[in-house]
Parts: sequence; C-alpha cells; structure tokens
Amino acid sequence: MRKRAVAASVLASMGILTVGWQIGAATAVTTTTVTTSGGTGSGTSGTSSSGSSSSSGATSGTSSGATGSGTATTGTGLTDGTYTGSSEQTRFGNVQVKVTVSGGKITDVTAVQLTDREQRSVQISNYAAPILRQEVIASQSASVSNVNGATYTTEGYLASVQSALDQATS
Amino acid sequence: MRHVFVTMGTVVSLDVSAADPAAPLELIERVFADADARFSLYRDDSELSRINAGGSALLDASQELREAYELASDWRVRTSGAFTPTRPDGLLDLNGVVKALAMHDAGCVLDAAGCRDWTLVVGGDLLASGFGPGGAPWVTGIVDPADRTALLCAIELRDPRRAMATSGTAERGDHIWMAGMAPEYLQVTVVADDILTADVLATAIVAGGESMLRAACERWDIDVLTVGSAAELTATPGFRAALAVPA
Repeated sequence: MRKRAVAASVLASMGILTVGWQIGAATAVTTTTVTTSGGTGSGTSGTSSSGSSSSSGATSGTSSGATGSGTATTGTGLTDGTYTGSSEQTRFGNVQVKVTVSGGKITDVTAVQLTDREQRSVQISNYAAPILRQEVIASQSASVSNVNGATYTTEGYLASVQSALDQATS
Repeated sequence: MRHVFVTMGTVVSLDVSAADPAAPLELIERVFADADARFSLYRDDSELSRINAGGSALLDASQELREAYELASDWRVRTSGAFTPTRPDGLLDLNGVVKALAMHDAGCVLDAAGCRDWTLVVGGDLLASGFGPGGAPWVTGIVDPADRTALLCAIELRDPRRAMATSGTAERGDHIWMAGMAPEYLQVTVVADDILTADVLATAIVAGGESMLRAACERWDIDVLTVGSAAELTATPGFRAALAVPA
C-alpha cells in the first residue's frame, strides 16, 4: 500500500509524466505523452492493480526502448494490454512506468523503476516534494505531547561546511 | 511523569508513562554528564578540549572518544562533507554525534529498566518509545521558524519511526551570507528509526541544501519536512502520512 501511495504521489507531483511506449507491431514505434494533473487523468490514480510491487528483475531488458503487447483495438486508438515505458531521466532520478490499457483507456499506471543515482536494486524513491501549507494546517490543532524546534546550526559549523566544500572542489 | 534537567548546555526533558516502572533518573543523568565531561568544548578539562589544546593525542584517547570520532568521520564521508567533525580552525567538534549517542544510550537505560512508554527530548532532538496518553501514538508539534511561538504542524511517531530531529538556520544573517552559504532551508526536520541518523541528516540538509536533501532521501530511510527561505514547504510521502489528525 505504501508503495502504491508513493507511486501515486510521484505521478501527481511530477505533474507531467512522459511515457514512451510501443503500440502494436514491433516496427511501429510511437511516442505518446500522457499528461496527468494531480492524478485527475483517467486511471492514473487507480489503486486496483495487483502485483504492482516490482521485483528487482522487473526492469532488466526493458530499460532501453519499450515493450508491450496488446490484443484488441478500440476507437481511442489504444490497444488493450500492458506496456512498459522507456526509462526516463528526471531531476529525481530515472523513472520507468508500466501502463495498463483496458477497453481503450488507461486503467493503471505503476512504477517499475524509480531508481536513485547509485543504481541500487529497484525500489521506490523517497524524495521531498512541495507541499502546501494548508495541507499541514489541520495537524496543528492535534493535541501534542512534545514540541520539536530547531537547534540552530552555528556560524562555525556553516563555515566548516564551506571549508570542506572548498577542499572538495580544489 | 516528566523529569527535566540541564546538561550539555541544553535542557533534557524525559516523560515516562505513570504506568511504567520508575525511570532510573540518576543513571540517565550520568549518561549525559559523562558525555559532557568527555566531549564539551566549553570545559577546558574535557578530554576533547585537552586533545584540541594539544595536551594529548587522539590516538591515546579513550575508546568512547575514538568511537565518536570514527562515527562522525563515517558520516562526513557518507554526506560528502555536509556533516563534518572538524571545524575550520582544525579543532575537533563531536557535538554533532555526541548528543544523539547520549540519547541513544539513555534510551537503552530506559528500555533495560522496563520503561515502555516514554519520550526523551534534548534540544531539537526527540526519541520516543511506545505510546502516549490514552494509548495513542506520540504526537509532536514542530515549531514554525517564522513564528517560534506557533506550531507549523504536528506529526505522529509510530514504531519503528522513533526518532526526530529539527535543525535550522536562525535567520538569513550576514555571517551566513559571508560564509558563501545562502541557506536554502530555514528549518529541516528528519524522522528516522534512530536518533543519530535523524540528527546528522537534519544538520547535513541544512548545511548542504537541496542536493543534500535529495541524496539523503535516496540513501536513507527517512521522512523529511523542509521549510525554505521563503517559508515554502517540502515533505516526503512518509512525512505527509505521519501528519497528526486532530481528535
């Protein structure tokens, strides 16, 4: 469930998700852009998928280009089936998704690769995305047992960091 | 039952459930007092001060001091220098790990004494165990850096997310700009399974900015909230999920 939630938020916070996939015959490669906006796109925020947690082997062999298989074509031009998009570079790292088309519509988008720069085994990346102040306001009225505030980083500490960075770049 | 005492130049606040056995307060105070005696830079007679003064060698230092130094050095490597135990003047400053180590040790003392539901707050760090009043998760408010009398938000700490640290730049003061470091974050809160990781990474992200934030979120299992210089917020999915829900 956590992975699903993370994947959904990834899609929502990226705003625009570019997915290149191959439709139909092996020779006809089409790049299609799927635009989602806060999860309002058709099917992009669905949570009905089973087996959405990918194993580390899931992306091997699919990272270059895209793979997919389809069956029935409908009026939308999308062929039913499951398609694995190409691996895209984003500022958050590489992203690769699997799209399920059913009845001519995208019914599910799952992340199969959200790697970090160290190329660890495939797992959902964790990163801090912008959050509106109004999203946290409600929590302010919760009854708290403790209050956590900053211990301020000292001038000396920041200067130390600067010197370390200077050494690192010299 | 809350027990408050002053040590290491800050205030320690320990809150233990009334249902738990009495906390071994003397022992816990000694954990912090020992750390202070060994690592304080404000005491000329501390072991670290003697080393910094050239009176004794690091190689001859106590095992505790060498271990703290090794730990801090490890974190310097892991954070690409954003966290460092060495000051610009070459002196060793192990405060970055010593407070968290003392909190960890105090937590072990409480666990060993059979205390199950407690919180330990030292400066901007918090370590929690079990549950708060009414069997609900511990809820901790995070101070709004723009108005330190107000809360920015409140989050729940659930096992194994027991540790939380908040670090900040006091203001966009001249000294910071002069150091060539325009602070990207006024305040950074890191929630982790252990207090050392939370403490070190909160400090490292304040010092290293967005690149350090990205690296930290990728490499460590942490939840983070940042407050930017224009008061804008960023949060990881885990942090959002932990936001407290008012009763």
